[in-house]
Amino acid sequence: MKAAPTLKGGLRIDIESALDWMVLRCIPYDARAGGSDLTERLAEPMAGSEGEEDWREFVLPDLRDAFNLQLSTIEQALKEVEGDEETGEIHIAKEDAELWYGGINQAQLALAARYDFSNVERSEMPPGMRSAWFRSQAYFYIQSVLLEHVMK
Amino acid sequence: MSDTLTDTREDVSLDTPWNVIVHDDPVNLMGYVTWVLMKIFGYPESRAAAMMMEVHQRGRSIVWSGGREKAEFYTQQLQAHQLRTSMEKAE
Repeated sequence: MKAAPTLKGGLRIDIESALDWMVLRCIPYDARAGGSDLTERLAEPMAGSEGEEDWREFVLPDLRDAFNLQLSTIEQALKEVEGDEETGEIHIAKEDAELWYGGINQAQLALAARYDFSNVERSEMPPGMRSAWFRSQAYFYIQSVLLEHVMK
Repeated sequence: MSDTLTDTREDVSLDTPWNVIVHDDPVNLMGYVTWVLMKIFGYPESRAAAMMMEVHQRGRSIVWSGGREKAEFYTQQLQAHQLRTSMEKAE
């Protein structure tokens, strides 16, 4: 997989193998896996504070909608990619960069909540965890290019 | 002449300021946290980066203080950018 900025200020991702496809298609899957609500985790530090119930009732639903939009944007873009099961190109417009970054970040946060990569040597990771670690590295790569070359 | 006395008092109550606090997490890129603080608050990069480092090293940083309504708005904005955020009354 290669990711590079375009002349129009967006990002192009070149898909070079079936593995690249698998990684990209796992973004929404990883983000939703485990049934853990990201909005609840983000609001955890507010537990017990004044107005916590109102926050849950009035703010978190809007955040859920925003996070769902990020994932549906990625899913739709993946459906529209022209190519085969080995190669393809994804074009992320500058105005969609934050949606992509946020969707990938959801996957990263969900993986981190599920696996604690920091305490395990890569050679000692069980297969499922190693696969998740590999995906998280690919996600970091796309996020870094998006942040440095498109969003900033 | 009226027998009614009018007693007028001025009641000046200053709103207690609220702090908006960003908490550390193991995932968000340092550059992203800095970028979010610059985008939401309009901070220069040096100030945003210093706050990001405080979050990273001390686990939390007060990134803004002021009225409650605006503190709620900023807290929502920061959570929308997937940063763990809370608000509390300033001591």
